[in-house]
Amino acid sequence: MSTLHVLSHSPFTDSRLTSCLRLLGPADGVLLCGDATYALTDSTAPLEALQALGANKVFVLEEDIQARSMAAPDWVNVIDYPGFVELSIRFDKVNTWL
Amino acid sequence: MAKSMLIISRQAPWSGPGAREALDIVLAGGAYDLPVGLLFLDDGVFQLLPEQNAKALQQRDLTANLKALSMFGVEDIYACGTSLAERGILQEAVDEDIIQLPQSAEIAALIDRYDHVITI
Repeated sequence: MSTLHVLSHSPFTDSRLTSCLRLLGPADGVLLCGDATYALTDSTAPLEALQALGANKVFVLEEDIQARSMAAPDWVNVIDYPGFVELSIRFDKVNTWL
Repeated sequence: MAKSMLIISRQAPWSGPGAREALDIVLAGGAYDLPVGLLFLDDGVFQLLPEQNAKALQQRDLTANLKALSMFGVEDIYACGTSLAERGILQEAVDEDIIQLPQSAEIAALIDRYDHVITI
């Protein structure tokens, strides 16, 4: 079964992203929203760790990227809220790291 | 058949309501005979240390609730071995009813087995 892991906390203040990546299953995906989008900051360890996952594993909410005037790298799938809903259905379950 | 649920508890016992809330969900699920599992991850493993003194913080002791889990039919209790090791908690210090998962791949497989996952 595949799991979509939803992260909304900055990877620079706590260990959610690190733990999530450690436990990620082969069919799983990661969706970044809120302050978790800071993980896509250039030249940072979180960005490198996410890039190592390969293609079609990392998703980010467009409005959270825009709000922070950030640009998503081309290997990240930028989605809107309907896309979020579609992802929630595509994966067997959603694990939100509260 | 009822859907199974894994609760991942990753907050230390006295850092806020998170630890208690996670345990409450597990106990509620157990009371309704739902297939529930509990995984202690990150700072959540601090909940497993014996002899905590809740009175010092004028709170109630969570360790009693932990012991009650089996009475509620919750037998699938796991702890992340990496989280334990990172925090210097020895394997022997943890109650033997709690299954320690030293490999991250084992935890990924555990998450995979359940229909729903709630991380607090």
